[in-house]
Amino acid sequence: MSLFTTLIPSLNGGPITTATATRRPRHEISEVNGDYQVTVYLPGVAKDAIEITDEHGELTVTGAVKAFVPEGATALHRETPDAAFHLVIQHDESIDADKIGAEFKDGVLRLQLPKAESAKPRKVAVS
Amino acid sequence: MRYIPFTQPYGRTYARFGGRFGGTGLEHEVDQLFGTLTGSAQFPVDVYQDKINTYVRAELPGANRDSLSVEIVDGSLSIKASRQQQSAEGEETVTVSRLVALPDDVQADKVTATYENGVLTVTLPRQEEAKPRKVNVSVN
Repeated sequence: MSLFTTLIPSLNGGPITTATATRRPRHEISEVNGDYQVTVYLPGVAKDAIEITDEHGELTVTGAVKAFVPEGATALHRETPDAAFHLVIQHDESIDADKIGAEFKDGVLRLQLPKAESAKPRKVAVS
Repeated sequence: MRYIPFTQPYGRTYARFGGRFGGTGLEHEVDQLFGTLTGSAQFPVDVYQDKINTYVRAELPGANRDSLSVEIVDGSLSIKASRQQQSAEGEETVTVSRLVALPDDVQADKVTATYENGVLTVTLPRQEEAKPRKVNVSVN
């Protein structure tokens, strides 16, 4: 029996998965005037529940959803999970992380990601 | 055993256990009762009910507030909204709409709605239960 459980790890007991459920928000990425613009749709998230981090070429946006269940109410029909939003965008580190701008209105987060100076095209003079 | 995450068309993933989509066995009945097919819906809608109200919650991020229209039509709730969308040609207006079947006991003239953080919440008060009446029947 113990040989069996070492061959098939999921039979070892304990939780099969410890990952918390998250959902990937709808998002659009575009380039405007050489800067990137990311629009992330986060309905039901309050502004202070949004976390944006940029690390090692990965831009991560997390938003916790305020679960809407009035006192004593039952859900008759659910099409949305209560899971938090989680989005990771890989980029090639050509973004100036100090100058990332963000605004949030009506559940839509707009991120301005200016390209780093070193990534902008430069003219080279020939002497 | 390979863990294959279950994904909805929106690209959501769930933990294998937990979450209310584990299957209460009633989703099909509820779908029939409400007559809404998720295949044709353009935005997700949740319906809740307590003793006083029925609540309809629609996820409509970025909608133009003056374009939001909520109407009760033939016992169904009609939700319409439009928002600006950037496309290759410039800005264009996208309109979405959906009809949500309602329970019979809705007081249509007392319906209210709020729009916050991209979520439209419609509160529909329920009819109070008719008080039982005593009827005297004379028997010949």
